Amino acid sequence: MKLKVRIKNKECEIDVLEKDGKLFIKVGDKEFVFGIGEEKKEEEIVLMDSKVECFLKEIKSSLSGSISEVFLKEGDVVKKNQKILTLSAMKMENEIVSESKGKIKKIMVKTGDKVKEGDILIILE
Amino acid sequence: MEIKKFKKLASTNIKAKELIEEGALPWTVVVSQEQDCGYGRKGEKWISPKGGLYFSVILPKNNIDDLQLLTILTAFVIAKIIKEEFNIEPLIKLPNDILLNGKKICGILTENVIGKDVKSSVMGVGLNTNTESFPGLESIATSLSKEIGREVDNDKILEKIIEEIKKQLETISK
Repeated sequence: MKLKVRIKNKECEIDVLEKDGKLFIKVGDKEFVFGIGEEKKEEEIVLMDSKVECFLKEIKSSLSGSISEVFLKEGDVVKKNQKILTLSAMKMENEIVSESKGKIKKIMVKTGDKVKEGDILIILE
Repeated sequence: MEIKKFKKLASTNIKAKELIEEGALPWTVVVSQEQDCGYGRKGEKWISPKGGLYFSVILPKNNIDDLQLLTILTAFVIAKIIKEEFNIEPLIKLPNDILLNGKKICGILTENVIGKDVKSSVMGVGLNTNTESFPGLESIATSLSKEIGREVDNDKILEKIIEEIKKQLETISK
């Protein structure tokens, strides 16, 4: 699309083209591309998301109940899907497994403790 | 429904959990003629000599509330089958046990693996069908055969129970 633009009292014709989410503006024989900055922003958002994943270091209880058994100790390295503890809740026995890997910084519960939904069970480093 | 039969296992729940790891499908049933380490809630031992019916069902993925409800419904299902088939009056001790004449005859244990949500579930049932004796536990445990004076058909009872559990799960999942 051709547009007329006045810059410092000088009128010129520019050619504006939108393509692949970018804005191409051609002034004379020079071409300016806009939209790259926004792309970088998107990349930053992705990075922030992966950081959020990294900071998911608290394993919380999804149920209210009592701790039947804790299988790990502080300092242990836990793998994804590894059994951490058993929680007796709603008259069922529930093996709580880790959703991420990491080193156990602190175990917040012990056998016999009562926990509520959302309570932190374990903190990973 | 696939029924995997074993002569002897440590526990049908343990075997069912192993089978899940190996890719077993929901409604796979693990049955054993006897268990070395049968257990109930909080690790309480379930005496499992030959003659009894010991089985675990791999359940389809479900939310935790439905799983609890299904455990309770299973107690009702088994009590109903006992009453209808043998014309005796069982007592459901909610949510996990069934008694006959004040003595324990059946226990149910559902075990879930939970990460962000429920990853897998098995429901184990120990039903004293043709158990002849309970050394040291005669005052608190009994069997169907002791109460009605004849042997019962374990395979037939198992089929009926599984069929009913499936029906109940379909109903509560609607």
